[in-house]
Amino acid sequence: MTDISRAKATTSLQDRIVLGLVKFFKAEWSGAFLAIVILGISIELATSGRPFFHPSNLMTILNNSAAIGIVAGGMTLVIITAGIDLSVGSVMGMTAALTGYVASFWGFPPYLAIMTGLGIGLAIGAFNGSLVAYFGMPAFIVTLAGLSIWRGTGHLSTGAQATPKLPETFDMFGRYNPFAGLRNAYKEGELSGFWESMGGFVDDNWINFFRTFQMSMLIFIGFFIVLTIIISNTRYGRWVYAIGSNEPGARQAGINTPRYTLLTYMFCSFSAALGALLFLGRAPYAKSDYGQMWELDAIAAVVIGGTSLFGGRGSLWGTFMGVILLKLINNGLTLAQLDTFWQMVVTGLIILVAVGLDIVRQSKNPESVRKLLGAIAAVMAFLALMTPGAIYLRAKIALLEHGAATTLREAGTSLAAGQNARLLSPDEITQFQSAASANLGATLLLLVLVLATAFVVLKTSRLISFALAAVFIVMILPVSLMGYEITVPFLVLGAAALLGGTYVHAMFAKARMLDVNAR
Amino acid sequence: MKMNMTFAGVAVAALLAGSAASAQDVIGYITKSATNAGWMMINQGAADAAAEEGVNLVSVGPAFQGDLSSQLEVFENLVAQGAAAIAVAPVDSAGIAPAVNDAMSAGIPVVAVDTGVAGAEVTSFVATDNYAVAKVQGAVAATLVEDGQPIIYVTGNQAQSTGQERRNGFVESFSAARPNSEILEVPTEWNSQEAQEGVEAILNSRQDVAMVANAWDGGTMGAKAALENLGFSAGDVKLVGFDGAGDAIAAMDEGWVHANTAQMLYQMGYQGIKAAAAAARGEDVSARIDTGFFLVTPMTSGTYKAMVGIE
Repeated sequence: MTDISRAKATTSLQDRIVLGLVKFFKAEWSGAFLAIVILGISIELATSGRPFFHPSNLMTILNNSAAIGIVAGGMTLVIITAGIDLSVGSVMGMTAALTGYVASFWGFPPYLAIMTGLGIGLAIGAFNGSLVAYFGMPAFIVTLAGLSIWRGTGHLSTGAQATPKLPETFDMFGRYNPFAGLRNAYKEGELSGFWESMGGFVDDNWINFFRTFQMSMLIFIGFFIVLTIIISNTRYGRWVYAIGSNEPGARQAGINTPRYTLLTYMFCSFSAALGALLFLGRAPYAKSDYGQMWELDAIAAVVIGGTSLFGGRGSLWGTFMGVILLKLINNGLTLAQLDTFWQMVVTGLIILVAVGLDIVRQSKNPESVRKLLGAIAAVMAFLALMTPGAIYLRAKIALLEHGAATTLREAGTSLAAGQNARLLSPDEITQFQSAASANLGATLLLLVLVLATAFVVLKTSRLISFALAAVFIVMILPVSLMGYEITVPFLVLGAAALLGGTYVHAMFAKARMLDVNAR
Repeated sequence: MKMNMTFAGVAVAALLAGSAASAQDVIGYITKSATNAGWMMINQGAADAAAEEGVNLVSVGPAFQGDLSSQLEVFENLVAQGAAAIAVAPVDSAGIAPAVNDAMSAGIPVVAVDTGVAGAEVTSFVATDNYAVAKVQGAVAATLVEDGQPIIYVTGNQAQSTGQERRNGFVESFSAARPNSEILEVPTEWNSQEAQEGVEAILNSRQDVAMVANAWDGGTMGAKAALENLGFSAGDVKLVGFDGAGDAIAAMDEGWVHANTAQMLYQMGYQGIKAAAAAARGEDVSARIDTGFFLVTPMTSGTYKAMVGIE
């Protein structure tokens, strides 16, 4: 008894860190959040110019996440009820096109056009939701049909033509900047006293901060705050989770499950329509082919955010993080000027890591956490390998193709146009040969590192992990000398992941003990 | 005659049945998109040529842009049901090749429009020479900036020959003229949203970018939206387009766009169907028909608008 109370009284810093970590990983959004931080740091270190974690860049990411984010917010609720809505992209495209269409061609005043768009969203949701809730049709099929129907309707009703530029009212959903008026007034010299100094402050920090402070971002964040409050404080919120975890049980408990299912689908399509308005606020015109594949991005964001596709479990903030992660990948890889095709590969890897983080988080098993950290180290080693490896492989493949094409020609085969293009000039041959030999050393070195790390994932002792982490650090020197400074951040992060892995078991033991004490 | 691929089989059968009675040649026309502004101009040219030639044009667009499998399916339906000739704008140069081979060996002439076919012979290839035009675009763009000023290039899909040729042509001639200018690339798959977000990200992290050049005018409009989102005015950062689409030309009149290499889109569809109809009658057609281009600048935009009938 006294032991325990003393332990409580003198909670050490270490204990507090462990408790903090436990609390952090209990949150559903922690997986996506961690992936954002890891990715952000890697990009920060790999890019030159203005820092990646600069507020104006972060706000740009938020601005561009806003439209798809609100669509994903609606999707989260549907998925928590163990449903799915594949029609959101088409609904978004159709409402965007029709809202713009009635505003530019039928002369609707903007507010009426906006109400029309949102009304169409609600109506489509009522249609989808009724079929699912009252006619017992599978949500997957109903909304898959919707994916085609609403896209087609959007094209038909607007002739698939872009509208002229929309009235300025639509900027209120997107690019409108609440500080722009103040700045303009300051520049015109219309201000005095306090407002003048405020205007001066805004103008001085315009490029660095205020330029990207726009309505998109504010609406996006506001939407998630309001929705979270609704979900965690109302009967509707509790019942959404109840329907998702056990629908027959919820019905027996007296919940009118069809009605709440219908409401959820209505809300989801409404969110898609609202997302369309946010998109119009930043887009050049309204057009019916907007929002293609958004259903997949929205579902990906929801799942990355820790929401279960089987329903009953999930969080809105997870989705918020998931959307930001997806947009962050695009933004960061563009800033890092990574080759297009590598961007595709890396995007997939990052999504796997993010979902892996979430699965391991739920398993509460120290060994899987250690394995995951090992896997992250392996991915980092792979990313480091990519720089020299890609150059080496491309040079080697070009030389091989040249060799094969030459052999074919000597054998008397007539070459097709595509094959001819593989032939190299003598100059190119020497170029590729020197590129291959210059990159061979680093490639081999890093390849060994990837394989060793992959081995550690499966089987390890603390000693091996420490040794490997040391190798990661030591490796920095030779690869930097070879001119691959860009790989340094990956090596540092890899070493950190390996070192972290060695403490996982101890931390879990500690956390269990503290948890017992806390009770 | 726009319709979804899903119903294309039925539609093709119905139209072929109808055409047998009227003894008109049936020309199959498989487009890449029915909703893209540029493609709508090409399709218009195709429809006009068909009316002039007195052939029955069965025109089908894919369910969504880039859907190879539905294009292959429609192609096979057209072959099986005995179209006299087929004009196709492949969504995938290599992917369409086996179907093209089957048709050609069955004696059905195939005309490739806009995008070439890799790995199969075609009767005729009717298109802008993307590589040559992109070289002009790069050279003109170079005159708009000083050596050393960095620029952004918004690419098209780099897994397609059109996207590759436009990028390579631009980069080669621009870099030759401005060797010290850095070219920052924004990769897209012909999606203006990707263009807008990528341009916004780069412009936000660097203050020194002087120009945004684009592989197609959807990118030009996306880049313009990015500039507006960041509060730039027309001319602060120069825009260079490709396609000569109506909205990009309107943006040129407002001072945003400084040069645009316009494809003769209408001509592409028109000459494509003309060639297909001629081949169906057994006449000789040239294996490569270059539909040319027009360099639109603020000086020449009036001429261009009159020529293609904008406003």
